[in-house]
Amino acid sequence: MTKYIGKSIKRVEDKRFITGQGRYTDDIKINGMTHGYFVRSPYAHAKVKSVNIDAASKMPGVIKIFVGSDIPETIAGVPCGWQVDFKNGDTMKEPPHPLLVRNKVRHVGDGVAFVIAETRAQAKDAAENVDVDYEILDAVTCPKKATEAGAAQVHADAPGNLCFDWELGSPKDEVAAALASAAHVCELDFSNQRVVPNAIEPRSAIGHYDSAYDKYTLYTSTQNPHLIRLLMCAFVLGIPEHKVRVVGPDVGGGFGSKIFHYAEEALVTWSSKEINRPIKWTAERSESFLTDAHGRDHVSNAKMGFDADGKIVALQAYTYANLGAYLSTFAPAVPTYLHGTLMQGLYTTPKVNVDVKAAFTHTCAVDAYRGAGRPEATYLLERLLDLAALEMNVDPAELRFKNFIPPFDGVEQEGYQTQVALQYDSGNYAPVLERALEMVGYDKFREEQAAQSNGKLLGIGFSTYIEACGIAPSAVVGALGARAGLFEVAQVRVQPTGKVSVFTGSHSHGQGHETTFAQIVADKMGIPIDDVEIIHGDSDSVAFGMGTYGSRSLAVGGSAIVNSIDKVLEKGAKIAAHLLEASADDLEYAEGKWTVKGTDKSVAFGDVSLTAYVPHNYPEGMEPGLDFNAFYDPANFTYPFGAHVAIVEIDKETGEVKLKRFIAVDDVGNVINPMIVDGQIHGGLAQGIGQALHEGTVYDDTGQLINGSYMDYCMPRADDFPSFEIDRTVTPCPHNPLGVKGAGEAGTIGSTPAVVNAVIDALWKGGFKVKDVPMPMTPERVWTAMNN
Amino acid sequence: MGHMIKVNVNGKEHSGGVEARTLLVDYLREDLGLTGTHVGCDTSSCGSCTIHIDGKAVKSCTMLAVQADGCNVTTVEGLATNGNLHPMQEGFKEEHGLQCGFCTPGMMMTAIDFLKTNPKPSEDEIRHALEGNFCRCTGYHNIVKSIQYAANKMQTSV
Amino acid sequence: MIVEGTHEFNVSATELWTILMDPEVLAKITPGVSKLELLGEDLYKTVSEIKIGPVKGAFKGKLEVIDKNEPSSFTIQMEQLSKIGNAHAKVEMNILSLDENRSSLEFAGKANLSGLIARTGQRVLSGVANVIIKEVFSSLEAHIIENKIA
Repeated sequence: MTKYIGKSIKRVEDKRFITGQGRYTDDIKINGMTHGYFVRSPYAHAKVKSVNIDAASKMPGVIKIFVGSDIPETIAGVPCGWQVDFKNGDTMKEPPHPLLVRNKVRHVGDGVAFVIAETRAQAKDAAENVDVDYEILDAVTCPKKATEAGAAQVHADAPGNLCFDWELGSPKDEVAAALASAAHVCELDFSNQRVVPNAIEPRSAIGHYDSAYDKYTLYTSTQNPHLIRLLMCAFVLGIPEHKVRVVGPDVGGGFGSKIFHYAEEALVTWSSKEINRPIKWTAERSESFLTDAHGRDHVSNAKMGFDADGKIVALQAYTYANLGAYLSTFAPAVPTYLHGTLMQGLYTTPKVNVDVKAAFTHTCAVDAYRGAGRPEATYLLERLLDLAALEMNVDPAELRFKNFIPPFDGVEQEGYQTQVALQYDSGNYAPVLERALEMVGYDKFREEQAAQSNGKLLGIGFSTYIEACGIAPSAVVGALGARAGLFEVAQVRVQPTGKVSVFTGSHSHGQGHETTFAQIVADKMGIPIDDVEIIHGDSDSVAFGMGTYGSRSLAVGGSAIVNSIDKVLEKGAKIAAHLLEASADDLEYAEGKWTVKGTDKSVAFGDVSLTAYVPHNYPEGMEPGLDFNAFYDPANFTYPFGAHVAIVEIDKETGEVKLKRFIAVDDVGNVINPMIVDGQIHGGLAQGIGQALHEGTVYDDTGQLINGSYMDYCMPRADDFPSFEIDRTVTPCPHNPLGVKGAGEAGTIGSTPAVVNAVIDALWKGGFKVKDVPMPMTPERVWTAMNN
Repeated sequence: MGHMIKVNVNGKEHSGGVEARTLLVDYLREDLGLTGTHVGCDTSSCGSCTIHIDGKAVKSCTMLAVQADGCNVTTVEGLATNGNLHPMQEGFKEEHGLQCGFCTPGMMMTAIDFLKTNPKPSEDEIRHALEGNFCRCTGYHNIVKSIQYAANKMQTSV
Repeated sequence: MIVEGTHEFNVSATELWTILMDPEVLAKITPGVSKLELLGEDLYKTVSEIKIGPVKGAFKGKLEVIDKNEPSSFTIQMEQLSKIGNAHAKVEMNILSLDENRSSLEFAGKANLSGLIARTGQRVLSGVANVIIKEVFSSLEAHIIENKIA
């Protein structure tokens, strides 16, 4: 039955992209369209004493300039979609995030005025002539310093800049006792630096109010149009949802940064009615650096204790998480439920405690970036493991084998209950590392490493990770503070001729849904793949959706499609039974036709679909049509895992790190399209390696992002990477119909610590016993580590 | 408006007035509606806007429209001939050299020009040639393979 | 951005002080300054045009001389605003007498940049600042020589 599933079918979406016919938001033109440009704060923290728009308003082409006080009180600020309360039960601090500020700016890039003109250049010219008088105030950018006495305050109603504090796992005294009795304790102070998602398509939004229908359309470069509509209508503008259509057309990469509802989306939508013309706004790259939600930014201390045999006895982790100046959509969930819950890793650690303080700072908001919380957890665990192996002089791979949770399939054996709330679905961890070692040629490598004498230091680093994907069971996340359900929706509409239109709430912005989903539909329905069309990204055509993030599209969105297909085939069988004058129970469906078992009597899918729409000879009492939707709410998260190994070479003279090989063996459950899954892994690896070696924001002590452009922020390039060596094992997910786990984030989650561990290994083997070199591990930092 | 220019784009003559400050990429996208050429940055770093001027790969955000006066311009929309994909386009599709597709046109334009000067490149040479083009989706792995595919195909078709 | 350095001049400390306190001299020696208008005691309005490499902009702002301690030290407090970003600087100037005809000027301070100039190419800007400062001193030297000859 699997003509397509499991095959590397070439992507159907490619044709439009390789011929220049992709349609991204900035490519869209609407009659009468105007252009918007933002006046943004050049300061991280300042009082806005006055905003003078007189000169700017008189400039050529200017239609309207909005400032903070023009936004009616009825319009609320940008909402947060997740609430994490303090340990003592106090409510999370949730200061307002206005669409345009009135009195105070809280990060560089905070919106002060919105200029609308006939052309983009005119809007920009005018914006440069808006005169804002600021009184500059002190700023704080580090989440740890922000919580210290005397730090500049971001919001008056969040004392000590604390948004919330949070804890999960075993009681601290039990962890402390276990650590006290440990034969060895490995302790590390480190930071997981802030990185910028940097989708190559800058964010863009077009607001279009159509007075004829009293209806708004928002085109926006988003990963989830329906969620944007929900948040913007219900929480910001107070417009009824049926009067708003949100379209996420082709989107040039997201990596998390386009999940969230941004102020610009609400502003272009609202303003388009005010001026009664469509408005387009497209970020300049520099603006993207200042306003796209960033990722990571943790300052941590962690201790891992081992007994004399090398078994982990306890883990204690303390983290200060930076949330930026305002709470972005999923921000509170990232350092907590997507981070603390992963601290079990792949190991049987009996005592685990995670303690998180989440702080406001005068910086751009921090939210989910590819992996979201899980890379931070994995980094913490895997750094400790490799470092402990060096300190205890044991083999890092052996240390892992010793501590892996034994295999369980989630069917015969129960899921694995961690110390940090989650129950893993299925796992078989040793084989991924065994396979990776085999690919590395581990024994030979160690010999080569020991023999090296060319002024270079060779190192190997490991990372065996687990992640929680397929986000997420609504009741579970609801109990943890999510303000939305996280199910997914699909509709399978069989056209009279037997062609199939599939509407999915999972938006595609590079993941290849139009191909992967079509493979599933074609196989399950036994029809040619060309007969299937996947439609996504338009709230007026797709019933509902929760969007694409957290490696959820296939596990959640794909499952919704399968459930819809089941409904279609069930009804189809009844129609077929009627046509064949048989009982539906006696039919079997294969290769696009229903056959009476044990006979050659059959009816084709196309005949059944035609009958459903031309119901002349039709089962009595049955509704015409063949069109079903399904809302799929997963029973659990899915838990992909894998083993990543990096081999690096350090130039002793310059400190330059060369990534020589990167081996990744991932288990993402069943695979529908291996080519696409491999591509997801490759891209994830590059982002994770980028964080280890190249990327990282630099804020100065006044809160200026001083590497806010591609001339200054080190984006990884083609010649920074070797060809990746990847393979996979398959441990199916036991609780979704496809047995899939999700592949979008795996590469990013596993790769960062592997690279850093390899550098540390190289340094130790070269006689430099340093515990940490801060990321990104630039030549200067590595050189300093060797020469201090 | 402004300066009169005459440009041949993808084999078709265009003439019209442009402001002196109009970037070539904006002229192509806004005036000619050729939106396959993308803008990914404001510092000429990302390469999404790469096109060919008289056969040479150029970042169209580094050039003013008036500087293209009298030039032959090829954009991604002009790569396929008579409905047949250019080997580079075919390579990107066959080897999964694109995901979101945003950097793809610029990548292909850079790669096509590169293969003119180096028809049988090594992997290292390909990676080096792509220094001026950012991709955030693919990790460049399959882009390299796509260019190798195109190189082979262009070799055998000669 | 930290700015610091020392330069020696062939004039006495008192002479150097007098020269540096003359707004016309300041306007003449500072690159790009087209206007230095006295607003009040030791407070000037400045208009300047700076163009070095990637940095080009018309700056408007204030320059104030504070903490005057004749003839040995003073502090310049500056605020410069432009479309490409703003600069706020505070630089302490120390004049040391070397002998009757020679003195040196030591300066140390910090400039806080914001806007586009802060986030694009800031790493090259201290180089730019050094070039500007060198220009200031060579102009100052030229001015001294000119006036001595005169």
